[in-house]
Amino acid sequence: MPDYEIEKIDDYRWKLPKKDGMRVPAILYASEDMLPDILSDDAPQQAKNVAHLPGIVKASLAMPDIHWGYGFPIGGVAAFDPDDGVISPGGVGYDINCGVRLMASKLTVDDLDRSRRERLVDHLFRLVPTGVGSSGAMQVDESELRRVLQRGAEWAVNSGYGSAADLDVIEENGRVDGADPDAVSARARERGLDQIGTLGSGNHFLEVGYVSKVLDERAARVMGLDEGTVTVIIHSGSRGFGYQVCDDALSDMDKAMKKYNIQLPDRQLACTPIDSPEGRKYIGGMRAAINYAFANRQVMAHNTRRAFEDALDLSPREHGLFTVYEVAHNIAKFEEHRVNGSKREVCVHRKGATRALPAGHPLVPGRYQKVGQPVLIPGDMGRYSYVLVGTERAMEETFGSTCHGAGRKMSRRQARKTAGHRNVTAELANEGIIVRGESDRTVREEIPEAYKDVAGVVEAVEGAGLSQAVAQLRPLGVIKG
Amino acid sequence: MPDWLREIDHTADVGIVVTAPDRDTLYARAAVGTFRLLTDVEAVRETAQETVTVEAGDAEALMVRWLSELNFLHTTRHVLFRRFDVAVSDTQDGLRLEATCHGEDIDRDRHPIYTEIKAVTFHDMQIRETDGTWEVQVIYDL
Repeated sequence: MPDYEIEKIDDYRWKLPKKDGMRVPAILYASEDMLPDILSDDAPQQAKNVAHLPGIVKASLAMPDIHWGYGFPIGGVAAFDPDDGVISPGGVGYDINCGVRLMASKLTVDDLDRSRRERLVDHLFRLVPTGVGSSGAMQVDESELRRVLQRGAEWAVNSGYGSAADLDVIEENGRVDGADPDAVSARARERGLDQIGTLGSGNHFLEVGYVSKVLDERAARVMGLDEGTVTVIIHSGSRGFGYQVCDDALSDMDKAMKKYNIQLPDRQLACTPIDSPEGRKYIGGMRAAINYAFANRQVMAHNTRRAFEDALDLSPREHGLFTVYEVAHNIAKFEEHRVNGSKREVCVHRKGATRALPAGHPLVPGRYQKVGQPVLIPGDMGRYSYVLVGTERAMEETFGSTCHGAGRKMSRRQARKTAGHRNVTAELANEGIIVRGESDRTVREEIPEAYKDVAGVVEAVEGAGLSQAVAQLRPLGVIKG
Repeated sequence: MPDWLREIDHTADVGIVVTAPDRDTLYARAAVGTFRLLTDVEAVRETAQETVTVEAGDAEALMVRWLSELNFLHTTRHVLFRRFDVAVSDTQDGLRLEATCHGEDIDRDRHPIYTEIKAVTFHDMQIRETDGTWEVQVIYDL
């Protein structure tokens, strides 16, 4: 176990003091129970490494679901000064704008008996392509792709996928400005042509579930999450397009770092000044990938509605599937935050962390002004997920950020070993959860035991005051890559 | 699993450690190790070949570029490779790798696809030569 010098701030806050080349301290948010697990791997060292980056403001932050990443830890948040700070593709991740959409319906869990559940999951599996290099939901040409990259979910809605009401409840309204299709390579564009509307593999999933517990009556009512309500969660990102944008930028920045005299403890943290040719190019490309992911999830949401209509023989009015909210959890954005008492713009990197704005914040959609921005925290496919809202405390301390998921407990190989000869799909079916996976191996790697209990993560962010729980959702059916 | 290849466990992702008697073989074996994460390479026939050339400033960057190129071909052209003839040479600015890759198109009936590699990372990568044995560790983002 690595030996960390750590100071307790309170029951949910731990400080790794500024040492050696660190420009700021690292702050870890976790309960005391979670700490041994967190300190047993290199993730806290990675949080310390991030503190070396030029222009970092306040602290390198780690959410309770922090785990080992490459370069940045997963669950890491760091903000940089726009004038003398850096932008780091590793601080966003390969899957740029990986995120989660939550939808709710007029149906209740009683409307989905076993056979309807199975039919629905089968339809979803057909309409939302999953798996390795999945493609085939649609094919666009180069000029159409440019529009996707510039307009994001708005492009999808204008092309007949979903409605304008969806856009109101997506982070950034499903479209960021400043996307530059010319800043991305021909390879990235090639990878983007046939993957819009596809889920991908690994931990990406589409889950039909229901509200199993209401934890905040008022907020849940505002979000349309009454007990028993059937919900849908879509977890995916910018697919091969985003991976390629990140890959290309890392390669550019790796070469350019010498020029800017930046020395770092890990090459995967490659970065350049925000205001540099390489920085500007990455930001333009990253924003194109952000929009790609927004379009991707919008098309999947539309196809999810179609699956409800076809499988259950319902009209759109009858199933009433609407978007509750959509969050990004791998992203870098320029945002206004209070730092040392004064408001200023900073470039916030969230890698495996979610924006969590409080009630009254101007970027919170009108519908949620009084309760705060919904935050979606998926768990594993056997247990539950949570819906939270952002708080003032998160604004003060974590640049309006909170956790993003359960985090793995087992490696993929360990999970396969644990699954052994068990029939995981049949086990889950016995509990009423219908799973369809492109690959049996993926399903085994994603067994519920491979993940930490997300309830612990939620308890820690609530304890630290970064978010408040609104509802718990349990799965009824899942499609996986 | 061949004795020159070891899979390493990381909680979220996966990595391999490869050893080889020389530099060219190290790059070739790292490629085989990569495809072993993706499929059962024994089931891949050698009916097609592709030539690949990549350049980089140093040995580690060359490894990332080479494996990323293969992953790009795999995901966009839907191919699998099982054998690689590799020649690495020095250039004015660094290194060049030229390779012929042997394999075939993906056939979902014969080729199980285990996972998707999002990217080949620089994380903890270091190419070392000790007493005539070359070694590299590669961490992938899955």
